[in-house]
Amino acid sequence: MSPVSGRGGEKEYWRTLEELAKSPEYEELLRREFPEGADLPPQHFSRRRFLQLMGASVALAGFSGCRWPKEEIVPYAHRPEGAVPGASRRFATTFEMGHRSTGLLVTSYDGRPIKAEGNPAHPVSAGTTDLYAQASVLGLYDPDRSRAPYRREGNGGAIVTWERFEEEARHIVTESAANGGAGLALLTGRSSSPSLGAMKARLLRAFPQARWYEYEPISWDSRREGTRIAFGAPYEVYADYGDARVILSLDNDLFGDDPAALRNAREIMARRDPDSREMNRLYVVESVFTTTGTVADHRLALKGSDIALFAGALMARLVAHHGVRPPDGFRSPEEGVVPERFVAAVASDLAQNRGRSVITAGANQGAAVHALVCDLNEALGNVGQTVRYIADDDPDRPSHAEAIGKLAVDMRAGKVDTLVLLGTNPVYDAPARIDFVSAMKKVRRAIHLGVYRDETAHRSNWHLPCAHYLESWGDARAADGTYCTVQPLIEPLYGGRTPAELIALLLGDETRTGYEIARRTMRESLDTGIDFEKFWRRALHEGIVPGTARPFAEPAVKRSAVAEAFGRLPKASAPFEVILHADQTVYDGRFANNSWLQEIPSHMTKLTWDNAANIGVATAKKLGVATGDLVRVTHGGGEITLPVFVTPGQAAGTAAIPLGYGRTAAGHVGSGVGVNAAAIRPADLSLILAGAKMEKVRGRKKLATTQAQYLIDNIGMQGRARRTAALVREGEFEAYRRDPAGALHGSHHPPLVNLWKELSTSGHAWGMATDLGKCTGCNACLAACQAENNIPVVGPDEVARGRGMHWIRIDRYFSGDVEDPDVTNQPLTCQQCENAPCEGVCPVGATQHSEEGLNDMVYNRCIGTRYCSNNCPYKVRRFNFFNNQKDLKEIEKMVYNPEVSPRPRGVMEKCSYCVQRIQNGKIAARNEGRPLADGEITPACAQVCPTGAITFGDLTDKASRVSKKHALHRAYYLLEELNIRPRNAFLARIRNTNPALTKEKESHGDTHG
Amino acid sequence: MGTPTAEKAAEEQIHGVPLVQGGLDFTGVTDTVCSVCERPGATKGWYISFAIASTGALTLFAMIIYLFWTGVGVWGVNQPVGWGFAIVNFVFWVGIGHAGTLISAILFLFRQRWRTGINRFAEAMTIFAVICAGVFPGIHVGRVWFAWWMFPLPYQQLVWPQFRSPLLWDVFAVSTYFTVSLLFWYMGMIPDLATIRDRATSTIRRLLYGLFALGWRGSNRQWHRYERAYLLLAALATPLVLSVHSVVSFDFAVAQVPGWHTTILPPYFVAGAIFSGFAMVLFLAVPARQIYGLKNLITLQHLENMNKIILATGMMVGYAYSTEFFVAWYSGNPYEQFTFMNRAFGPYWWAYWTMATCNVIIPQVFWIRAARRSIPVMLTVAFFVNVGMWFERFVIVVTSLSRDFIPSSWGFYWPTWVDILTLLGSFGLFFTLFLLFLRFLPMIAMAEVKNVMPQAHAGHHGGHRKEQV
Repeated sequence: MSPVSGRGGEKEYWRTLEELAKSPEYEELLRREFPEGADLPPQHFSRRRFLQLMGASVALAGFSGCRWPKEEIVPYAHRPEGAVPGASRRFATTFEMGHRSTGLLVTSYDGRPIKAEGNPAHPVSAGTTDLYAQASVLGLYDPDRSRAPYRREGNGGAIVTWERFEEEARHIVTESAANGGAGLALLTGRSSSPSLGAMKARLLRAFPQARWYEYEPISWDSRREGTRIAFGAPYEVYADYGDARVILSLDNDLFGDDPAALRNAREIMARRDPDSREMNRLYVVESVFTTTGTVADHRLALKGSDIALFAGALMARLVAHHGVRPPDGFRSPEEGVVPERFVAAVASDLAQNRGRSVITAGANQGAAVHALVCDLNEALGNVGQTVRYIADDDPDRPSHAEAIGKLAVDMRAGKVDTLVLLGTNPVYDAPARIDFVSAMKKVRRAIHLGVYRDETAHRSNWHLPCAHYLESWGDARAADGTYCTVQPLIEPLYGGRTPAELIALLLGDETRTGYEIARRTMRESLDTGIDFEKFWRRALHEGIVPGTARPFAEPAVKRSAVAEAFGRLPKASAPFEVILHADQTVYDGRFANNSWLQEIPSHMTKLTWDNAANIGVATAKKLGVATGDLVRVTHGGGEITLPVFVTPGQAAGTAAIPLGYGRTAAGHVGSGVGVNAAAIRPADLSLILAGAKMEKVRGRKKLATTQAQYLIDNIGMQGRARRTAALVREGEFEAYRRDPAGALHGSHHPPLVNLWKELSTSGHAWGMATDLGKCTGCNACLAACQAENNIPVVGPDEVARGRGMHWIRIDRYFSGDVEDPDVTNQPLTCQQCENAPCEGVCPVGATQHSEEGLNDMVYNRCIGTRYCSNNCPYKVRRFNFFNNQKDLKEIEKMVYNPEVSPRPRGVMEKCSYCVQRIQNGKIAARNEGRPLADGEITPACAQVCPTGAITFGDLTDKASRVSKKHALHRAYYLLEELNIRPRNAFLARIRNTNPALTKEKESHGDTHG
Repeated sequence: MGTPTAEKAAEEQIHGVPLVQGGLDFTGVTDTVCSVCERPGATKGWYISFAIASTGALTLFAMIIYLFWTGVGVWGVNQPVGWGFAIVNFVFWVGIGHAGTLISAILFLFRQRWRTGINRFAEAMTIFAVICAGVFPGIHVGRVWFAWWMFPLPYQQLVWPQFRSPLLWDVFAVSTYFTVSLLFWYMGMIPDLATIRDRATSTIRRLLYGLFALGWRGSNRQWHRYERAYLLLAALATPLVLSVHSVVSFDFAVAQVPGWHTTILPPYFVAGAIFSGFAMVLFLAVPARQIYGLKNLITLQHLENMNKIILATGMMVGYAYSTEFFVAWYSGNPYEQFTFMNRAFGPYWWAYWTMATCNVIIPQVFWIRAARRSIPVMLTVAFFVNVGMWFERFVIVVTSLSRDFIPSSWGFYWPTWVDILTLLGSFGLFFTLFLLFLRFLPMIAMAEVKNVMPQAHAGHHGGHRKEQV
């Protein structure tokens, strides 16, 4: 319609006097504003012309999504021809963090990455991720990221351009070319990237005098050294849990810190399905309560240094009773330190499952323990069956402890003239004993490449912004050696460069973009065939190059060397020790500025935004402290003061302190949160600090926990004890197998009669099933939910007030002995009740029942009476007490999922079963004119869950996986007796306990409500 | 006592003591009451009290502005305790607001003629208490700017409120109660306003009081209509006394939170409301009669009668507390059982025992006649009853929510400074309104009081009456 043309018989409207007068100026203006034809539908187009134009616009729309026009990014999407604007696309990439890499498919919406999912093709992640990968997307949009190169001079400094640094780099190239790189030292973190490896080789070839150090505060070097003792050369251990019937973990958090955590979770949990086939049995001997400890069938809390004695006692027991030949010179440890009964039960179980068991040790444990574990696996015939070895790709690499120590010595000796720090932060995380700060003062030119201007950046002459992995071209290797690609989803927001690109600059290399380096490396290191382009595009599309896993090796154990190393271990442990460990959320401190991770509660303590010394109940009594009391911990000249947290199950005589806190230059989020335990860490980077001292000092600290602490008043304890068995149901595998219907207590209640008309479901009835036996408490679902649903972060004070916003709450229940309790995790979110108590009480009807059985929350209608939350028996509704979006910068809002509206102040929110994904799935099916397939729709929590504990689907489809789970004998509904008819079924946890050990444990869970 | 005159005369006494003492005649009554609002300047005490009270009221407004500006998070509410001081205060003030209508309407219908001395007072208190109560549901919602969605208004969204929600019933119950109470109060005041108008010496006073006196001339016809209307309004208001607090209790009883979901709540709430309402009337009437020299109109007999009602309703409340425990035990419902044990011995034990002490134990002194007639004792008891009743609502709202079904979601509630200042500010608002009432309106229903004086009846003889008793 032409805007002004009045038609006959119609009333003529005008807007200005000029318009009314139809002056020539106005006509001219009008012509310019509304060119003829632009507002008309294409009436005279030929069909062919129309298709041409439409095709062109679609193609061009796709082009607008490309960031680097001269380099091609191949999408992993349904429609490689081009993207539909407004529709999200997925690209394969790899997230590398210390010793592990996770394959991802990252969802990109209009050119901005918003959500990471596991890459199904990746050998470790196989479609799932951990919480770090989920939260890493937020890190991309962190407003505290370093935005430009910075040159520090004297006490001042200034932002400079990259060109200015490139000039400096040319100086370095000239100098190094002249002296062969003498005085040039590089420090990097652990990286599996073949490109970085190739660049390292080039650099050392060009400048043979240069020194390359690799340092990682948390590493698996002790296992590497253990295999060196056992086999004479370092190997990586590849355990195949898919075939293991009995698993013994010695201080190894298989689902947490292990390099193959996601694969472990998948393989171990696949064999923990009491309904389909036999269950494996998981023994865990550990000092800190890990996620692995929570799902163990038998957990033994033991001091970190006594775990070596346990391994020795196990060997002794196998020798004495199960015909294992002892290694030459093996002396069994003294009896009485470790419970003989437990050792005997484990030994006989292992001996009965030769070739079908796995023994594994954790990064905390020393090389001798790892060596003995290699020997034990060999002796039990597991090697080649369930345990395999892969030769280390860099056998000559010094350990991280040696590297950082040697570098500090070199720096102090004035041997380092130019120090290049690639993405590491030793000023913060190196042990205080090494005193990296004072050593750095001797360096003439320190160049720091980092995502943040962190502690190390502040002490370097040059700081350069590093590209986030979602902005980078590169590559990585999975835990089994599979070649993975890293491709950017967005152009570097702040002009950051990758470590490989910086090295190229320092080499004066002609090939200097990450893209070219990654391509060159792939061409050089893989057999790409004739058509490299095709190979490259396919690799980017898949995210991995299949068939590139490293071959398994079969090294022979040098048993006498193992026995000798083991014999050198101290025969008795110190009365008290401190155990340092990577934090479950901020890891080694690199995620300190990630507010999602800071606010995700630690799986055992439910502590957010802080670290504390976790001590057992007996230790707390002995010290006379309660949760929140401050203690001073001293070891080797260093001391820290921090609050204690009384944690049942923490081994007596130990205190566990997470690393990764106490950052001083992390950014607005992470600076000043918690205490840096590197102050008491020994220079050899060991994590068990035998002989550390802990004493009570004056003062208390308020800790922000999301669940009431363990030591509450008596009434509360009694009330909880009385109902726990009904809330989290458990059973024994033997009993369950014999009689699935009778093995579990049900809840006793009168017949549940519906007062209301049965709701009719049209088409679908969405439901969920959560297997309590499979939940490890890893928190990946919380992070995924937060990323998917734009859940705000509220900060420690608000968490302490009880105003955390996570839609999922993982409830942690203890049972049994307070010093060595059993733990069950229960992820709890909206149960989408059919008789929803929240719906009836809302005065404005802001929460309604959908035809598909969802309990929908109408944010626009909500006025915030909070009555629904009061009336929700699960307390899974979350209220926006403040405007939680107010302080977000524009860049932070880029991480928002556009399909989920952020909630304003004063509005209630809760889990929607990811209704946006349900709608997308339905639309896709309808467009293709087919019924929805089971499993096609997956909420974010179910998709990310490494163990597959969460199943989602349609309950009207009796063949769906979720319906089948609802029909199991171990399925139950939480608070069923309230007749609210939740749509989420929990599957009771079935423990495959060893009868030889169960008798000593008091039976628990006989009472229920 | 066979003749109607004799019956009438008996009604005008409490235990043989006349309702109006000090030998006041009609003029005396009028002078006593009107002099308070006709005095050119208020007393120094009034100014000081008003300064304090209005500071409190301004604090309340400041807190509300801060709340609106920042969000409900300025209060201590959290998950699981979604309702805190705001709802506690709401129920508390609505409860206070019960005595007025009870005295006006129910005692009127039961011909308890001793009520005339205190009914105006009590009604005014009701209005102001309901105003204070009405503040809270409005401000406690997360998005106050949409609070009007709770009213069934036809507008472009074409969405109705949800009639299943007890909060909506609340809206109707409280607004109806407020309207009827206001009408009742105002109507009862018309003859007295006319009296002040007639006595007015300045034009402004004559105009203003005249405006509100609605042209009252005191004709027979007017009195006839007036008394009919008053009777009808009393009959209308009577069920409201029972319904308002019953509906308020539905907010809790209809929910399924253990400790809320009980059928005892409506009668228990009504008894508690009368209890706290009478305590508040006492608390206000005693100083007022002292200060304004109304001892002949609000006699010790009146006060003793109110003390008896406090004793009776206090015991009802105590009975309700024990019944709750019994039912929790008898029901076999573990959640219910836990909730009550937790109330008495859990982290909020102090609130529970404050409530029990103030509401059940302290009023027992009223078994003693001397205590019922002692001004200091009754003031102390009235104070503690109000404290106790506030804590009763705190116990019901907060302790029940803090520990419900699933132990992992248990939490604690503690108020912020905003909560505390808002509570204090609501008292400021209440006393501000009340002081204004004392200053400008007849605080005793003169026309009604005159009606219960012997002079009102033809053929009254002082000596004769004595013989009849």
